[in-house]
Amino acid sequence: MNRRHLAATVAALVLLPISACGVFRGGGGEGEGKGGAPAAPGVTKEPCPQAVDKAKGCIYLGTISDLTSGPFAALAVPITDAQKAFWKRVNAAGGIGGKYEVDVQTYVRDNKYNPEVHNQVYQEIKGKVLGLAQTLGSPTTAAIIADLRAQRIVSAPASWTSAWEFEDVIIETGSNYCVEAMNSVDYAAEAHKARKVMAVHYAGDYGADAAAGAKAAAEAGKLEFSAVETPSGATEQGRAIDEIVKGKPDVVILTTGPADAAAVIGQSAARGFRGRFIGTGPTWNPALLKSPAAPAIKALYEQSAPGLPYGADTPGHRAMRQALGNVTPNDGYTSGWAWAYPMKAALEKMVAGGNVGRAGLLAAVKSLTTVDYEGMLPPEAGNFAADPNTAVFRQTLINKVDEKAPTGVSVARDFFTGPTARAYRLDGPCFNKL
Amino acid sequence: MDTLKGLLESLVRGLGNGSVYALLALGFVIIYKATRVISFAQPAFMICGAVAVSHLAGVTGFYAAVLISVAGVAALALAVERAAIRPMVGRPVFVVAIITLGVDVVLRVIVNGFIGRDVRQVGDPWGFRTVHLAGIGVQQRHLAMLAAAVVVLLAVFAFFRHTRYGLAMRAAAYDQEAALAQGVSVGMVFALSWALAGGLAAIAGTFVGTGQGVDQLTWIIALKALPAIILGGLDSLGGAVAGGLAVGVAESLVQAYQQQLAPWLGQNFAVVSPYVVMLVVLLVRPYGLFGTREVERV
Repeated sequence: MNRRHLAATVAALVLLPISACGVFRGGGGEGEGKGGAPAAPGVTKEPCPQAVDKAKGCIYLGTISDLTSGPFAALAVPITDAQKAFWKRVNAAGGIGGKYEVDVQTYVRDNKYNPEVHNQVYQEIKGKVLGLAQTLGSPTTAAIIADLRAQRIVSAPASWTSAWEFEDVIIETGSNYCVEAMNSVDYAAEAHKARKVMAVHYAGDYGADAAAGAKAAAEAGKLEFSAVETPSGATEQGRAIDEIVKGKPDVVILTTGPADAAAVIGQSAARGFRGRFIGTGPTWNPALLKSPAAPAIKALYEQSAPGLPYGADTPGHRAMRQALGNVTPNDGYTSGWAWAYPMKAALEKMVAGGNVGRAGLLAAVKSLTTVDYEGMLPPEAGNFAADPNTAVFRQTLINKVDEKAPTGVSVARDFFTGPTARAYRLDGPCFNKL
Repeated sequence: MDTLKGLLESLVRGLGNGSVYALLALGFVIIYKATRVISFAQPAFMICGAVAVSHLAGVTGFYAAVLISVAGVAALALAVERAAIRPMVGRPVFVVAIITLGVDVVLRVIVNGFIGRDVRQVGDPWGFRTVHLAGIGVQQRHLAMLAAAVVVLLAVFAFFRHTRYGLAMRAAAYDQEAALAQGVSVGMVFALSWALAGGLAAIAGTFVGTGQGVDQLTWIIALKALPAIILGGLDSLGGAVAGGLAVGVAESLVQAYQQQLAPWLGQNFAVVSPYVVMLVVLLVRPYGLFGTREVERV
């Protein structure tokens, strides 16, 4: 075989996964320009394809999620299913303002957690939807954010980066990774007497956001801090494990996917590390309890979370469980369901105001000071009217591993705001300050 | 003392992972020697093996599952060779290599259905358990990887040296037409090389899955065999083993020491270190450490 050909093929093979990891980002989309989009795209007088009441019109919302082969598929599929159940319940209860039902089934696309694919499928559906019920991932959504802004397409993110606090069109729910990590460090300093903190994180605005929060809290609490950036892939965690074992931090703030978290925790413990791990929400998956890392996870790991877990006893959680029926519990469902409340509140306000369309929806979002999450989150978590520093929600929880709980975790510390998060002035996305 | 202990622990980890790369690399080289084609289907065979073990281990036990999986993947590779590769004999090798890429994608899409969205565990008996040898903490699975690789590699080398089929494969690799003239069935050699490579990939996949499990992205690790084979020399079995071990050790040492010794290289230089080692070796020895020099008359 010709060696030049081989070199080209090897290069292609190496670049393929790098590109899939989102190292190369696509452009933000060019937008359709003035007059390109119809007055109210994604809104029809005709009923939805699966309408409960055929007399009502239809509002189409798009979903772009990691549905098959990306690293967050185990969370993304339940998120998407929960949102379908959420809007089905809304439609069954009379829809939006008695005039419209909401369709989240027609425009569901897979992004494979790849920014280019995300942008491509977004371009396919953007003219046909009023907003996005879900746009999963921080780097993926970053690939379309400029166009979302230009087209005024209100979107619910499936990610918690602090950058969303500064985007009018993004309706985030719950605290961002930055605040979550601040609270985790403050909690570790108080509950575990931690003096030495290490953030082990992915690159980009998921991992770096949390690491920046951990750094801010460590500085505020005069704790020793180090940050270790790690690539995705369970077999690529060797360096992170080396740094943990050598550095012997009291607490590791972990911002990875679940498989990588298990590799880091399991192998660090196997090499004698006895400090604590606090992982951000997406580090957890109940399947980890069946992995060889389970003993270490049970002994050393806690999960920080922006919301109560699946089994919690609130009207919202009960409604979710009832709507979903007999499914394997997963906090992807919980997040997906909770994320839909601000969109529902904004759609109701838009229809009530009579300005049905993208501008009307954005105006409705900008006037929301609270959202009724049916107890899943405090109403003030849904403040989209104030400036970012005022509106940002600063409460998170700490969950502990609990094999009897539906998703393997139960609340160890209920919603709280640590001293760092309370005092922190959010004047830009945190990840820029790492 | 701690420094020496850390170094030895890193070396053992590197050799453990490197032995997996060596098994994968050996599969690439066996097919290359027989057919002059780099088979990019190896990642898929690796994942097929690991996933088969993850499904079977609960029923048959881990070791029986590995044997069944190796036999199954070898049979699968045989079938792929017969159906997709044999009809292409005589076509440019680059075309055949691209077909193997297609085979890889198709197989991985199918096997993804058997992985599902969660990580699958292969049910190995080692987990993250560690033993202490002369004060050095070593994960049992790394020792198992090393031991299995040694046994398998000895068996493969014995096969090539001491069996009729092995001899036939060596003859065909040396000169296909001469081998044909001597009554060697080159078709059989092609098939056997694919089956061997499939079986080796299945063993490697199982060891990749020990401890950390298998998910839909695990296949990417098989690409690390590419710098290993180029480093060792594309057509050298011994080179594949040396290349695999060198890649594993280089990666492990870079993970452990680069941040202290050369922090200016950035945080995750270990990820690209196999390729850097490969480039450095190629600069000095363009045909790899043990590869045959190509002489072309123009």
